[in-house]
Amino acid sequence: MESLFTWNFASEIVLSTFRMATPLLLVALAELYSERAGLVNIGLDGIMSFGALAGFMVSYLTGNPFLGILAGALGGILVNMVYAFCTVSLCAEQTVYGMALNIFAPAISAFIYRVYFGVSSTLAQATLMKTIAIPVLKDIPLVGPLLFNQTPMVYFAYLMVPMTALFFNRTKAGLSYKAVGEYPKAAETLGINVVRQKYIACIICGMLAGIGGAYLTTCYVNTYSDGIVAGRGFIALSAVIFGHWTGSGVLMACLLFGFCDALQLKLQIISKDTPYQLFQMIPYVCTLVALAIMGAKKAGPKAKGKPYLREER
Amino acid sequence: MEEILRMEHITKRFGDVYANRNINFDVQRGEVHTLLGENGAGKSTLMNVLIGLYQPTEGNIYLHGKPVKIESPAQAVKLGIGMVHQHFMLVEAMTVFQNIILGDKREKGVFINTDKARKDILAISEKYGLDIQLDALITDISVGEQQRVEILKALYRDAELLILDEPTAALTDIEVEGLFEVIDRLKSEGKSIIFISHKMREVLHVSDRITILRAGETVCTLPIQETNGPELANLMIGRELVPSQYEKVEAGGEKVLVLQHVDYNKTRKHNGLNDVSLTIAKGEILGIAGVDGNGQSQLAELVTGVVTPDSGDVDLKGSKVFSFDPLAFIKQSVAHIPEDRNLQGLVGNMSVCDNIVLKRTNSKEFSSAGGWRLNKRAMKSYADAMKEKYDIRCASIEQETRNLSGGNQQKVILARELEGDPDLIVAVHPTRGLDIGATRFVHDSLIESREKGCGVLLISADFDEVLEMSDRILVMFEGEIMGEYSGKTPPIEQISLAMAGNKGVEE
Repeated sequence: MESLFTWNFASEIVLSTFRMATPLLLVALAELYSERAGLVNIGLDGIMSFGALAGFMVSYLTGNPFLGILAGALGGILVNMVYAFCTVSLCAEQTVYGMALNIFAPAISAFIYRVYFGVSSTLAQATLMKTIAIPVLKDIPLVGPLLFNQTPMVYFAYLMVPMTALFFNRTKAGLSYKAVGEYPKAAETLGINVVRQKYIACIICGMLAGIGGAYLTTCYVNTYSDGIVAGRGFIALSAVIFGHWTGSGVLMACLLFGFCDALQLKLQIISKDTPYQLFQMIPYVCTLVALAIMGAKKAGPKAKGKPYLREER
Repeated sequence: MEEILRMEHITKRFGDVYANRNINFDVQRGEVHTLLGENGAGKSTLMNVLIGLYQPTEGNIYLHGKPVKIESPAQAVKLGIGMVHQHFMLVEAMTVFQNIILGDKREKGVFINTDKARKDILAISEKYGLDIQLDALITDISVGEQQRVEILKALYRDAELLILDEPTAALTDIEVEGLFEVIDRLKSEGKSIIFISHKMREVLHVSDRITILRAGETVCTLPIQETNGPELANLMIGRELVPSQYEKVEAGGEKVLVLQHVDYNKTRKHNGLNDVSLTIAKGEILGIAGVDGNGQSQLAELVTGVVTPDSGDVDLKGSKVFSFDPLAFIKQSVAHIPEDRNLQGLVGNMSVCDNIVLKRTNSKEFSSAGGWRLNKRAMKSYADAMKEKYDIRCASIEQETRNLSGGNQQKVILARELEGDPDLIVAVHPTRGLDIGATRFVHDSLIESREKGCGVLLISADFDEVLEMSDRILVMFEGEIMGEYSGKTPPIEQISLAMAGNKGVEE
């Protein structure tokens, strides 16, 4: 335990915080885009696991992790279209179909994996995405090597944060997008196509959550196993509430959860005598506490969770 | 005159219910054409057809003489039709500016051109005298200002024809004056206005022509010079309106409810009761007059068992009440027509049938096995009978009550509360937001209950209603009873003084 406060330890924690937070951030942004259009999607875990499988398979077969990411995105969209059709077109209960994704998608992923690779004791291994150092920035003392020598997906995820803020606050499309989640009937009277907007939201959500899943199998570990997502979808869900439905808030929340994850991994290594399950609890406990504090406040898009029926009186 | 809009033979059906049937309607340039009708006469439906929110089952729409098919609100906006909805279509979490430019497609480019848009909006605001604060959040501005934002929103989209749906319903008197000035300005600039209302005074003041709708059909269209208030009222409700004077009675009999020196939250003058004593006898209506928010809500809650008094005695039918609990009061046959029918009176997502039997699901009539098994058939036939008796206009008793008009919702509450001969009825603002016909129905029902020997506590902010209905009148001010007055020959001046907090001379 004496090494707890050394520079080496701290830098490792920072590095792994950012790496751990990346999939959370991608998926939390996915949820942010979904909820901003009034769709609460609790099926993130399901979308992620399908994205993780699609990413792994394509990366394994082609040897190109970038194609894996692309496959993850497409797979995520595909899965989320089930949710979109049921909740937007059929006006079904959002929670029910989110839950359906959580049950259906991991199962189909596991099924496809077994059919293709069979049951064996050794896991198939794919190529991991290589890190790319950003010139100039990587030479900044202390933080440079830590933050600017990552895989492109990490840069993509963090770049999405200011882009998201810009989109919702400065563009016409962003304003219309938000209006759909706040008061769809008002949006409709102003000529905004509510149904189309909601489908677009589902595409963005499926894409980002799928990429988040594919990140796990193309940048994080080079294997696929059942349960690889490990509840990250739900942590991301709480990050959106914790981050008050804004890009920057979500980033802060994800970094916090990422830090907890990084910390628990380190603690597992340092303190070998303590049962590791105890440390594994840290991110989830942190999520619970964060939700208990922030979740009490009534906030977020007003029409979230409600189906939109045009001719309802 | 130039014709802007003509709607021909418009019919709109919801299931088996005709909301509009064969309606003809037209608007000329620079005129205010009023649609007059009771709640549920089909005014809002007709307008929703016009702005493309509903598709007509039959009929044609012509703009500038050319036939058009309006398939979406977006298209209506493009055609120059702007609607100010009764329930404003404003996104509360956004600013006034954002709400006005929301969804506007004329400006090219991805980003919002703030400077230009602001200039344009301020120019329109100047031209029509629509005073607004561009950067305030919708939640932070008054209802009157929200309405101006709605009008501006339509004008910013170059609306030629403005639809104002019940625009004065939520406004104060001063704000109404302001609105009328704006309407005059709009008219003189050549805009046309469809004004929807059932308030006679305003209609006579603002309209050029009036079309009367009744039960989804056009009755007739009249120019303002050729008509007057009483005629319009008759046309609207379709029968002669007798200046209703109910017979006032003096009931000296058995007391149903006695309150003695009751205090509740008495330091909070506008939300409490201070030393309130009153009695209600069988077969009389006791009216509580007073400006809204002087303890009336608390009084109603207290005599229906929702809240417990801090001190003082409450006697119900001769025995002292110890446990203040709504169920105990219901068991003592106390009926409650609550202040807010959507919040307290009805479960909006439940059917008409379920709402009607809600209070009595434990009775032998509707359930067996001690309330564990509901007798659906008995519930349905009972609800059907009530639908007839109370003239509840709905597609079926399975319809959800939130989809009914205000008047019909109130009838559902009456059907639940007045049946089974209650001994005491507590009616709070029983006709708020209702049209003449529905109001009349509620009043008749209350009088009928009185005739049966029921005591009625009528709490209303509508002074005329209290005067018309009450056998005795009490005035409340800041949680106190200011005085008691006869209902037969009410001393209006004294009562209004008392309502303003002036104790004056009691009768």
